[in-house]
Amino acid sequence: MSPTETTAAPRGRKLNLNALMVEGRALVALVIIVAVFSALSPNFLNPDNLILMTRHVALNAILAIGMLLVILNGGIDLSVGSSVGLSGVVAGYLLQGANVPGTDQVAYPPVWVVIIIALMVGCLVGWLNGVLVAYLNVAPFIATLGMLYVARGLALLITNGETFTRLSGDKELGNTGFLTVLASDPFGIPFPVWVMVVFALIFSVILNKTPFGRWLYATGGNERAAELSGVPIKRIKVTIYLLAGMCAATVGLLLTADLPAATPKGGELYELNAIAAVVIGGAALSGGRGTIRGTMIGAFVIGFLVDGLVLVGVSVFWQQVVKGAVIILAVAVDQIQQSIQKSRAIRTAAALPPTTDAPTEEMVGV
Amino acid sequence: MKRKFALLLIGALTAFGLAACGGSDSDSDQAADGDAAKGGGTIAIITVDPSNPYWKAEVDTAVAEAEKLGYDTTVDAHGNDPDKQNQFIDGAISKKVVAIILDPAGADESIGAVKKATDAGIPVFLVNAEISEQGIAKAQIVSNNAQGATLGAQAWAEAVGGKGEYVELFGNPTDNNAQVRSDGYAGVLSQFPDLKLVQTETANWDRAQGKEKMEILLSAHPNIVGVVSGNDEMALGAIQALKDAGKLDQVKVLGFDGNDDAVAAVKAGEMVATVLQPIVTGTTLAVQYADDYIKNGTEPETEKQAIDCVLINADNADKLNGFVLSE
Repeated sequence: MSPTETTAAPRGRKLNLNALMVEGRALVALVIIVAVFSALSPNFLNPDNLILMTRHVALNAILAIGMLLVILNGGIDLSVGSSVGLSGVVAGYLLQGANVPGTDQVAYPPVWVVIIIALMVGCLVGWLNGVLVAYLNVAPFIATLGMLYVARGLALLITNGETFTRLSGDKELGNTGFLTVLASDPFGIPFPVWVMVVFALIFSVILNKTPFGRWLYATGGNERAAELSGVPIKRIKVTIYLLAGMCAATVGLLLTADLPAATPKGGELYELNAIAAVVIGGAALSGGRGTIRGTMIGAFVIGFLVDGLVLVGVSVFWQQVVKGAVIILAVAVDQIQQSIQKSRAIRTAAALPPTTDAPTEEMVGV
Repeated sequence: MKRKFALLLIGALTAFGLAACGGSDSDSDQAADGDAAKGGGTIAIITVDPSNPYWKAEVDTAVAEAEKLGYDTTVDAHGNDPDKQNQFIDGAISKKVVAIILDPAGADESIGAVKKATDAGIPVFLVNAEISEQGIAKAQIVSNNAQGATLGAQAWAEAVGGKGEYVELFGNPTDNNAQVRSDGYAGVLSQFPDLKLVQTETANWDRAQGKEKMEILLSAHPNIVGVVSGNDEMALGAIQALKDAGKLDQVKVLGFDGNDDAVAAVKAGEMVATVLQPIVTGTTLAVQYADDYIKNGTEPETEKQAIDCVLINADNADKLNGFVLSE
């Protein structure tokens, strides 16, 4: 019975070590990227440029946080890019003045109402994803792929293919403030960056300190076991897709305010960058493994890489090759690391006589 | 109503990606309304991407002109995907349309599709872009992108005083027109020894990407005096980036297409100039050729026709509305 003792005692340290190694890899990648680009371009570490790049990172990072929740469950959400476009367009439509159905009147809702409605649109798309996945047993890839088309089509329908640009509102109508708030720079830091920080903190607490967070990791690790031990897996699924949709709607609002224009094409292919950030951050697509911290680092890796390549003037085609190679490399290294750890753990366990209380075992990690 | 319906359909098509299922069914219900001679049959209109104002104008023009001449219409959008284009052509052939107005997806890729329709006895009239073989389509009506780029570049060079560093925003690299326009710009600007192109970035015709790329380009080259852009959407993104950085006074922006937002920017003095592609003229002409061919069997005298572009600057921006320049 001594092996159980050895594993039980240093548990906290073991988890930390494991997490550190997973994130460490992404962090090493980030350090390399920063070092290389700052050597190649004197402007890379310029504070203004760092703030600029962080603003670019922020949108992807917020999406990636939502994506992480879904991936922790072993799912995937391909619809977030379209939700970005749809919620942005809804916000643009309401700010321009929405026709009240059945009358000739045009409604100009105040900005906070616009924001809430746009967020609810994102939540609704996410909720539908969740219901499809949890209750109708549609594979997440298929359900959200379908929703990718549906949401994009709805965005095109609303705009009639056009771009909404009158977003600043009118003082007399009382709907000003969308741009002045969402595209502002409180304390010199762009608004999207603040949103990213707040989201990261909140979701970090949710994942680590709440039953919901523990349940989510459990469902991703072994869904059947989690269900048998009383975890409400269907409710959890609906919630995570809903939250991913909300994150997407947030990005939609920020993107629309940043441009400032609501285009039905907004957010196209954003889902792929979000998935890349989550995976580079050390999450497993099979679920159960991944952290907010890692995901944030992953988002910075992707963002700094993309912007850095433009900054040093690498040719457009090479930019894509390099970006793809970094994603593959990051995940490949992760897999190698995993299998080395696993085989080492097995070997150690096999080599050890059952009675030995080996202190080395904890260093290996499982 | 009709136009709305056609666009709804495009939206729905894009939404479900059901291109394959010959989604061009928008005609049947349109035939019901209007007593005008609708016996002319159906003209299939196949465009690129109606969420872009430029192609939206193309579709709207074609639909309006065809209906005026007494035809029903179907509208499809291939999004520059040759496979989808093939499916739409197949759909049009099986529906036995009387003519196809096509904005082709690639100069080489589209030859097969055009040939297939022509072999099936359906005349094809190309608008906006060309295919690299002649004698298959009945007409190829393109806007003269090279001439337009030359016009734009000259006006822009004058605005920056022919001196300084500038950057270029390049369109979707797989689109023929991106290269033609870029070459047109280079042809003019390389003659100014003091003008130096410091970097070219692609922003895929897209406004959000235009802004993002411009922001980084400003970090890399803080002292640029201008931006030449392959289309208006990217230019508008660049203008916003310049506004945010407080550098719009220092940097002159050139667009291309002449869409409404760009014209507004020209009027506001934010964009030096844009180049109007005569898409409305060209599309109208294509539909009229189609009508002439169907009713009288006359083929256009010359297959390949390039319609000259018009420079839009502060002087004539007021006269432009929805891609049409009033005299």
